[in-house]
Amino acid sequence: MSEVYIERLAAQNAQWLTQRQALIAGNVANASTPGYRARDMAPFASLLGGAPIVMATTNPLHMAPSPEEPGAARIVESAPGDETLSGNTVGLEREMTNLGDVNRAYTLNANLKRAFHQMLLATLK
Amino acid sequence: MLDPLQASLRIAGSGMEAQSTRLRVVSENIANAQSTGGAPGADPYARKTVTFDSEFARGAGASLVHVKRIGVDPSPFRMESDPGSPAADASGIVKMPNVDMLVELADMREANRAYEANLQVAKQSGEMMGMTINLLKDG
Repeated sequence: MSEVYIERLAAQNAQWLTQRQALIAGNVANASTPGYRARDMAPFASLLGGAPIVMATTNPLHMAPSPEEPGAARIVESAPGDETLSGNTVGLEREMTNLGDVNRAYTLNANLKRAFHQMLLATLK
Repeated sequence: MLDPLQASLRIAGSGMEAQSTRLRVVSENIANAQSTGGAPGADPYARKTVTFDSEFARGAGASLVHVKRIGVDPSPFRMESDPGSPAADASGIVKMPNVDMLVELADMREANRAYEANLQVAKQSGEMMGMTINLLKDG
């Protein structure tokens, strides 16, 4: 089992959540735009689990993905629910549910971070 | 790269702007539901329509929205018999605007709902920023 870097994990999660928030904002803003396809983030677990998709390198001169970003966050099209006549796939109810999810997860994340900071400070006092 | 939370505030703002433009067009249509032409046989007020278009926000990976066009509904005008009206033609027929109150009210309700959803997103993005800032308060 590899080591778990708590602070980094929390930061990664916060970043993922804020990106998701931006996507939700885009979906809600475009709720009546013809032809707009609703989008969402790939699950956070897909960032952590296993190897990210790596480009094949057949020559040592080929570009390698930077080791700093193991599997950058991916954006996927939301599962098509009800498509309107104009080709729009945004469901406001679904977006509002996702918004609630993000809020809950972000609160948890912020509170955990505070707990980590307090633990860190406890060793100094 | 733009901070995604700031981007969501901007995106939600663009959504609210677009929806309020839509509301403005609806109110214009309702206000002019009885506006006939000035001269005999002249065309009355034509219903206006609004269309949206998404616009990619650089760095955020999400899309803003803007009003693409305020167009004119090409559907035919209602014909009413009112010989006393100054806009009546020789046979007493007046062209009335092609505004359907029911359609306008439904559109208004939809704009209202979409505005509310955008407002909710903006409110929550602000709260999330606040949570992060609060980490400094008693960390």
